[in-house]
Amino acid sequence: MKFVLRMAAREMRAFWRRLLFFFICVAIGVAAIVALRSVIQNIRTTLVKEAKTLTAADVIVQSSQPWSDDTRALIDERLSTTSILARTESIETATMARPADDEKAVATMIELRALQSEFPLYGELLLESGRHYSHELLRERGAVVRPKLLTRLGIEVGDEITIGGQAYTVRDVITKEPGQRLDIFRFGPRVLVDYDDFTNSELFGVGGRVRYQILLRTYEASIEPLIKTLEQTLSSEYAWVRSYRETGDRIGRRLERAENYLSLVGFVIVILGGIGIWSVVGVFMRRKLRSIAILKCVGASTKQIFGIYLLQVSFLGLVGSVLGLGLAHFAVEAVPPGVVAGLKIEDYGLTWSAMLQGIGIGILVSVLFSLIPLMESRHIKPLLLLRQEVDRSAIQGRRRWEVVDRWEVLAAATVLVALLALASWQAGSLRVGILVTIGFAAVALVLHLTSTLLVRFVKPFGRKGWFPLRHAVLSLSRPGNQTRMVLLAVGLGTFFVLGTRGTETNLLEQFTLELRDDAPDMFLIDVQPDQAEPAEKLLMSLGAREVRMVPVLRARVTAVQGAELNLEGYQEVREHRWLGREFTVTYRDHLDPNEHVVEGRFWDASPSTEAEVSVEPGLQEDFGIQVGDTMRFDILGRVVSARVTSIREVDWHDARNGGFMFVFRPGALANAPHTFLAFVKAPFDPMARARMQRDVISEYHNVSIVDLRDILLTLHGVVEKLVLAITLVGAIALISGAMILVGSVAMTKFQRQYESSILRTLGASGKTIRTIVLLEYGTLGALAGAVGGLGAPLLTWVLCRHLFEIPWQPNFWLSLAGIPITALGVSIVCMVTTMDILRKKPLAVLRAE
Amino acid sequence: MIELNGVSKTVVSGPEQLTILHTLDLHVPPGQFLSVVGPSGSGKSTLLGLMAGLDSPSAGNVVIDGDDITVLDEDRLARLRGDKIGFVFQFFHLIPSLTAYENVLVPMELAEASSPADKANRLLEEMGLSDRGHHYPAQLSGGEQQRVAIARALANDPSILLADEPTGNLDSSNGRHIIDLLVGVHRTRKTTIVLATHDAELAEQGDVSLTLRGGRVENCRELSKSVTTSGSS
Repeated sequence: MKFVLRMAAREMRAFWRRLLFFFICVAIGVAAIVALRSVIQNIRTTLVKEAKTLTAADVIVQSSQPWSDDTRALIDERLSTTSILARTESIETATMARPADDEKAVATMIELRALQSEFPLYGELLLESGRHYSHELLRERGAVVRPKLLTRLGIEVGDEITIGGQAYTVRDVITKEPGQRLDIFRFGPRVLVDYDDFTNSELFGVGGRVRYQILLRTYEASIEPLIKTLEQTLSSEYAWVRSYRETGDRIGRRLERAENYLSLVGFVIVILGGIGIWSVVGVFMRRKLRSIAILKCVGASTKQIFGIYLLQVSFLGLVGSVLGLGLAHFAVEAVPPGVVAGLKIEDYGLTWSAMLQGIGIGILVSVLFSLIPLMESRHIKPLLLLRQEVDRSAIQGRRRWEVVDRWEVLAAATVLVALLALASWQAGSLRVGILVTIGFAAVALVLHLTSTLLVRFVKPFGRKGWFPLRHAVLSLSRPGNQTRMVLLAVGLGTFFVLGTRGTETNLLEQFTLELRDDAPDMFLIDVQPDQAEPAEKLLMSLGAREVRMVPVLRARVTAVQGAELNLEGYQEVREHRWLGREFTVTYRDHLDPNEHVVEGRFWDASPSTEAEVSVEPGLQEDFGIQVGDTMRFDILGRVVSARVTSIREVDWHDARNGGFMFVFRPGALANAPHTFLAFVKAPFDPMARARMQRDVISEYHNVSIVDLRDILLTLHGVVEKLVLAITLVGAIALISGAMILVGSVAMTKFQRQYESSILRTLGASGKTIRTIVLLEYGTLGALAGAVGGLGAPLLTWVLCRHLFEIPWQPNFWLSLAGIPITALGVSIVCMVTTMDILRKKPLAVLRAE
Repeated sequence: MIELNGVSKTVVSGPEQLTILHTLDLHVPPGQFLSVVGPSGSGKSTLLGLMAGLDSPSAGNVVIDGDDITVLDEDRLARLRGDKIGFVFQFFHLIPSLTAYENVLVPMELAEASSPADKANRLLEEMGLSDRGHHYPAQLSGGEQQRVAIARALANDPSILLADEPTGNLDSSNGRHIIDLLVGVHRTRKTTIVLATHDAELAEQGDVSLTLRGGRVENCRELSKSVTTSGSS
């Protein structure tokens, strides 16, 4: 071991400059992973840390219906057996607010929360005036509001606002509030009012989007048993129990996908780095043939020699990873402070877990990608010192396939399994990991076959004809050629770079689709059946371009009798993940433009008393609900049994129309309690829009208006940031990928310089040598570009469909453009390095050899 | 010490098989200095390669100190060379990334010898290179490189020293120096030496001279001590 250590140190002392590119590859990959993962982890940590104050309680019991006396008695009974330190109730709903002053033609959606005096159980409510928050502020129709409401409505503290036909005086402004959500997930500014004032208003008991909450504070150890008891108690009620921990988890999950995407891009960069490493180590090993033969000649065992180089590679991997941490640090610091502040990140910087992961991945990838080139050392025979070229198969007198080394096969299998594990881990999905690894292996195999075929195909051209062509062909097919190495490195690199680029364009396409101009831009929620017709008329008279009233009902699945799935009672249904949630359903006699039937038949226009339902394919895929099954629904207390008569695909990304998991045939639901949702194309003029909102809610207090244009504006900002982030990450992948590929190709100059120098000595002009190089590497570049480019849409497909679950648009132009660009890129790099070779005196090169 | 029993070597060259060493029996007793002479391509290097286990024979076996080395795997052969055989090449073959001193050190480190540093310095001194130890091969002249190679070959006090055209790449004065060193080694250490050369004059330095031509033994001349050979055509 001592010998191995000493030799590794001596070798590195002499060769570190040649291996500089090795740790640049590692450093870029590690920097990408560490920087991207750290930033997203910073955001997650901040959010999860705030989870307790976000929930403002240890345990929340929540329902979308007012507590019945029976339910309340049941809960009280259970709570009496647990040590409850504090208890309070609140009601949350999204509704409209406008200034009480009729002169002000403006209205806005708000997030209303009605509170009792014990609120908050955790955290502190901070007010702009600096005074201490007390429930007294809310009594007698007082309200405290977020600053945004004041600016939106053009009012001040002391003014009155109207909510649900009732006037409230704004008493103070909230600067920090427990139980707050991130601004981008909000419908509108928060308004806090008194619980009793709200329950006495017109809004109470009307409409569906209301959350009735009981907040509890208890001992940490009592949280889990309390949740279990309450879940058992409320199993037949439509109520959910959750702890602050779950809130943290939920927020965490929301960011997980973003983290996984960024990590996967980081991983792709690391893979590209790995390909670079593989190329460097391949070239390095060729340069080391003689030294290895000498070591074997003077008594070194294969294991010792393998150890020397493995140790070097691991050490370089470590140094490269540490350098990567440095780069990541600079990258993270380079993010403008405004952006950091905007994301409300408290502890900003590299995280320990990301740094450890980065170093681990850096070393692992260095070792993995070096393993196969390093295995070559096992076949180097000391005989090489007596005879120049030693062909493995010729010496042993066997066919090539017979000399396949089982250790090499084992190493290749190890590399694939490790890549699979790494990709799955980084993408957070085994399926994506498997698909990416299969893609990697398939492209590598195709490239390997291509190199074999190329060598066979061009061989006849090496015998006669134009001198540069003959020598280019001889270079491609000579023993120890670079053909396979360049094809694999550049081909795999192109595959990953174009694949990531294709995914990026698909992701960006997704955002533009969601912001179409011909979509409805205003929604009226909770329009009562008797209000539907007059409201439509009113909207049209106020300048709406189009109004569509869609009946909506709130329903829960309570039983399924089917070919594959049989569920009796709501208790069984809620055990089936999202099947147990509350759905918004509708009825109509036609398919919307964003729908088409994939199985069964959609009903005709005639109403029917027998209930029929059309379901979304997700229900078929996730739960096995089939055409012909019968489903039982509870629609606000009314039980409806309906037969599934069709499976209906919905394009959820087409925002012009709503989307429903369940659509019923008209007739059976006519008497069920329902409201209307209005899709409105409102006037473009902001004043006309404001007037429309004010007049509608003056007339119908219970109706809420969501002005999508406001949300779109906010969303535009968010999307712009996202687009920037995705483009930036894509650009990083592209640039680092290109840099690594350039380096890999440039490394082959060490192989070329000896032959070029001999040709120069024999009288070949610089032009002849350049033409040879151009022909050889242009062919390799074009072939690598073709295989990588044609494989790239597959990678894009996997990432789009299986990781992001978005529609996939193949970008064949990108693939086609990849071929000449790769060929050109490879040729340019080779030309530049050849010029470097041509500048050197041939004798210097020959002597060094 | 060295026994070759019915050894031959055939290689594949394109579609043809080429015999580079025809069947040969040879016995070199301990302490003998054997000169192998012959023009380029006569099979000298192949013979030395087979003796060192650098190459495997197509037929026959090679016995070193009573052990049949043709059945040993690469690692055992490497260990055998480290312990018993020193090899000097025509093209020196020093490790370019190591200094002269480190090149000499390597075989001793591999054999885990005690105080290798002192010995490496002593050997370099013996070769007249005490002030060149910290130089890299590229910074040394051909003669100096070959002397480092001899020092390296002697590092583990091998009982056998095989030298393949050690002067072939040197001028006559440097060549003379190298031969003097080898003769000195043979005299003082009683090392068995097999020297391959195309220079008949150099070959005279040995106890026995074996002439090869076209892979066959053409002549075997005893210069002072006995050696038994038989070549068949």
